[in-house]
Parts: sequence; C-alpha cells; structure tokens
Amino acid sequence: MPAALDSPSDEALLARNRNGDGASFEVLYARHRQGLYRFLVSLSNKAELAEEIFQDTWLSLIRSATQPQGRASFRTWLFQIARNRLIDHWRKHGVHNPLHDSYDEQLHVQPDDASSPEQQLSLSRDQARLDAALQALPEDQREVFLLRLHGDLELPQIAALTGAPLETVKSRLRYAQQKLHRLLAEEVPA
Amino acid sequence: MIDRKHTPDADDEMLLEHFRQHPSGEPPPSLDAFILAAARREAPTPAPSLWQRWLHACQRPRWQMAFATVAGVALMIGLVLRSPVPEDHSSPLASVEFSANRQEPAVAAAPPPAMPAPAPIVRMAPQGELARAPASADQALLEKPAAKMSKAAPAALPTLEQGLMEILRLREVGDSKAADEKLLALHKRFPKEDLPARLEALRQR
Repeated sequence: MPAALDSPSDEALLARNRNGDGASFEVLYARHRQGLYRFLVSLSNKAELAEEIFQDTWLSLIRSATQPQGRASFRTWLFQIARNRLIDHWRKHGVHNPLHDSYDEQLHVQPDDASSPEQQLSLSRDQARLDAALQALPEDQREVFLLRLHGDLELPQIAALTGAPLETVKSRLRYAQQKLHRLLAEEVPA
Repeated sequence: MIDRKHTPDADDEMLLEHFRQHPSGEPPPSLDAFILAAARREAPTPAPSLWQRWLHACQRPRWQMAFATVAGVALMIGLVLRSPVPEDHSSPLASVEFSANRQEPAVAAAPPPAMPAPAPIVRMAPQGELARAPASADQALLEKPAAKMSKAAPAALPTLEQGLMEILRLREVGDSKAADEKLLALHKRFPKEDLPARLEALRQR
C-alpha cells in the first residue's frame, strides 16, 4: 500500500537506515513484509521456499549499501530482488524456470463468459478456490497479476521489473483477469 | 460477453480487491524476529558529525604523541636556527669584556686547529681591538689564538693589528703604493682609530 502523505517515503526511510537509523528499517519492513511474502508464496506455491527467499531478500537488503537506481522505486527494487532470488533458486536446483517460458497468450484465451456484473459480484470467496485459480494461471500471467496484487505496482513498473514490453504485460494481466473471472464464477449460477 | 459499462480498470480493481479481502498468509513471527534482529545487529553505525570526529581524533593517544613530537621538533629547529642577538655598539668596554670572557673558555677547551672559531666570536674580535689600549702582554697572548682562529674562518678579514703589520711590511719592501691602499682600506674599516699613531707605535716596537 502506498505510504501516507505525511509519512516518509520508502526511499527516504532506506536512506535514513543506511545512515544508521535502525527504526527506519522496521517501518520499511512493516510496510512490505506481507505483500512480499504473499507474492512469493503465490508465485512459488511452496511456503518453505517462499520463507527462504523472503529471508534472503531482506538479509541482502540489510547487508547491501546500495539504493534503488534511477527511477526505480523501493517497492520495485524489493520485488525485483525477491524475483531474482527465486529464479536463482530454481536455476540452482535444476528446476525449469516457468517465468522464462515463451508463452502465447492467445492460445490460452478462452471465451470470457463470466464478466457480467452479476457474476462478478458472485465470485467465489472460498480461499482454496482463490488459490487454485491463481495456480491455474500460466506462470507469466500469474507473476504479472501477483505483482499487481501484492506489490501494488503499476504496469510500467512491472514491465521494467520483468523485462517484458509494456504491451505484453498489459495483455498478460488482461488474460489473467479473464481467466480468474471464469475460474471463480463458472460454478456460480448466473 | 464483456460488459461495456465496466472498464478494464474497474474490473482490475474489483478483482484485486476481491483477492485482498482474503488474507493469504503472513510471514511466521519467528521469521519476522530473525530479520528484525539481523537488521538491528548489522545496522550501520551513525556517521559522527565533523566536530565529533575532530574531538575523537584529538582523544587518541597517537595524535597527542604526534602533535607533541612535531611541536618539540619545531621548537628545537627554531632554537638552533635562531640568529645571534646584535651587539650593542654604544658600550665598547662591555663588548671587550664579553668578548674576552667568551674567548677564554673557547681557547682553553680545545686546541685551535681542531676547533674552528664560532662565527660570532670572529666578528666580535675587531670590536675588542677597537677599544683596546696599546697591547698588553696578557692580551697579546689572547690575541694569538684568536688570530689563528680567525684565519681558520675562510671569510674572516685581517685584524687591525695584522693590517698595520702588513702596511709596515709593504713599506719596508718599498711598496708604498700598496701600503697606502691598505691604509685607506683600514681607515674605512676603522674610521675612529688613529692609524698613523698605531703604525708608529708598531714600528717602534
């Protein structure tokens, strides 16, 4: 969630922490711990692996003296570190990296019959179904949706983070939403 | 069919909000505690201000030693290179006594060839002769080592007595022109001295 107007920005907190203000880190951690953790759990679909990457990400941030470069926000920077750590883990353990698959979204598009207002209001509220719907998404669509959901990142930020063109990110998000609507509403009577 | 009343942005927000209403996990408290403890343990120390750094540097013993050493060396160099205090020419008698007192220990302490005369003593020797009465025996004894020491100094001028002796010698060999030039030069150096009378006294000795 964005910081309140009267509270210091993430970047200001990080700079203060780099100058020895320990309390600044606790504020930063409190702001982003939940979103980052949920992003990693949903992306990796393994709680233990998510905890390991979550810990590595924060420790590398603690031990690093660097700051977000250029126009990158702290949030983008943090999620990028976590994403890179996860990809490194997959590579190290010989796991095929699903995020690097070339994926033709058009082949996975199904007619979106569940986008009427009535159906949207009656989306399933069952947690297990929500998780299952997320895991049913193709990896690159899921990644974009999770960055939007838990990182609260804008599409250009997601494009910069993933290294994908902005139009590709837009289409991935659109297809992800369509599929989620369909998966969550298909068994609900219209 | 997509409802045209619902923009993609509205759909996006509705779906996101739907997922956000369902908490999907929190990091374990132990993980939170571990990360926060690591952050406290490895937090960079606050950068001290310029004043604090200066104060801290001054409190270190090596700085005190270095400063004291430099100050001591500078003091010693200053003392060694200090130029002698100019003599007061208004009191010739005092100069004579001062010169004699300083020459005596110097002569007695070391043989003349082994120890060149210090520059201030050489410069003061003619002043002693200026105020001296016609040579006495003990002063003549003192003059000999002083003369030797003066010769040892490369830039030292001949004393008044040496100059007068040289003039007498030149006159004896018939070189009166050179003798007159020497006399003129001596007169410039010792304008208050009655050079003809001193010459006559030396010639009669």
